[in-house]
Amino acid sequence: MAMRQTPLTCSGHTRPVVDLAFSGITPYGYFLISACKDGKPMLRQGDTGDWIGTFLGHKGAVWGATLNKEATKAATAAADFTAKVWDAVTGDEVLTLAHKHIVKSVNFTQDSNCLLTGGNDKVLRIYDLGKPEAEPQEIAGHTSAIKKALWCNNDQQILSAADDKTIRLWDKNTKEAVKSLSFDASVSSMEYIPDGEVLVITYGRTIAFYKAHSLDLIKTVDAPASIHSASLHPDKDFFVAGGDDFKLYKYDYTTKEEMESYKGHFGPIHCVRFSPDGELYASGSEDGTLRLWQTAVGKTYGLWKCVLPEELSSENSEVLYCPPAEIKA
Amino acid sequence: MSGMKTPVSVLRLPRGPEPNSRGFDPTSPRFIALCPTTLPSSSSSSGSADEEEQRLRAELRERFLRTLLLMTGKRVRFDMHEHVRVHARFGASDIDVLNLQVCDLETPLGVQREALLRSQDVIACSFEV
Repeated sequence: MAMRQTPLTCSGHTRPVVDLAFSGITPYGYFLISACKDGKPMLRQGDTGDWIGTFLGHKGAVWGATLNKEATKAATAAADFTAKVWDAVTGDEVLTLAHKHIVKSVNFTQDSNCLLTGGNDKVLRIYDLGKPEAEPQEIAGHTSAIKKALWCNNDQQILSAADDKTIRLWDKNTKEAVKSLSFDASVSSMEYIPDGEVLVITYGRTIAFYKAHSLDLIKTVDAPASIHSASLHPDKDFFVAGGDDFKLYKYDYTTKEEMESYKGHFGPIHCVRFSPDGELYASGSEDGTLRLWQTAVGKTYGLWKCVLPEELSSENSEVLYCPPAEIKA
Repeated sequence: MSGMKTPVSVLRLPRGPEPNSRGFDPTSPRFIALCPTTLPSSSSSSGSADEEEQRLRAELRERFLRTLLLMTGKRVRFDMHEHVRVHARFGASDIDVLNLQVCDLETPLGVQREALLRSQDVIACSFEV
């Protein structure tokens, strides 16, 4: 019997959620951090959405947030011209890295020793977290604000997307641009999948997949509405995308066919990411919420429980909450 | 119509933030396992060096607080920025030691009966024990 998706809504933020990131899988599960215009990024348990803590300290909208693989460190990028590094276990602020303009993106290397930042001053910076007082290495070249900056190719290269409608691949050591891609529209999001070296880019209504090393195009898919973010499933069988029409779309990666679309958010979707185990994906919206969606609808996982028809009418059912049947418009 | 599909059941909704706390429960298994040395402060720091530093910090803090207590009611000389040196009778400090309440503050413009000195402007205070 086909089941209808029940998204789990994580409330708490009071303004639009603009970025989110998962950690890797740790002995304590995996974690999710959300960046919000209310300036208070939050850490949640990844498989349930349960709130763990709020990182307090930024004095402006937080535009980017990330966790290291082990979920022991967090980093945030904010409109207060700083990037901050946090202890993700205690919630304490560990470092404040002053910038000359709004910071939009932060990314740890695999060993968590270096932090890459990018923002409105158009310069990429690499901080050695072991020597935080030392000046960061700088990589200049973009002619507009940097939206997203990511380590790739074993942290030897950097991918950056900017409002100058380019994506550039840089060598970390020479600080030279190795390759570049130009678009007609501004790139709205970028995701890097190390396993398989795939780059997922969104612009306009398009979701595009590139080989990360060569920046060769693999394929593009067009959605019914302007897309702000997309994420490829770890097994590369599907991807999800969301944007202006408030809906989440699920596509078959191989055939490029739209499989499902889900309503739920009350505002445009700004970010969407698959969990590291691929069992769910999280979306952040202008409506101030994060929602968790099941990849395999109906499967028992996290807070979702597979309930057989007989159990639903049984008095001894341990299920406490069954969402009311929605009336579709 | 599509209302025929049964929605997936959930055990409960995700827990939201606590109203008066920033979270990061120190009794959680992860916190207990990974703290206090989640981030090494310096590469050569060992557990006992951290404890020693903590002990010294606690001792210095206690001495500072006892000095403030001892200063109460006494005539204190405050050396401040821009080569300012004033005398006043010390009353109290606020909880964060951001302001110092004094009376009979002797200034070049006369004696102020009651005044607040900004702690960040004060470089040193001295008084007779």
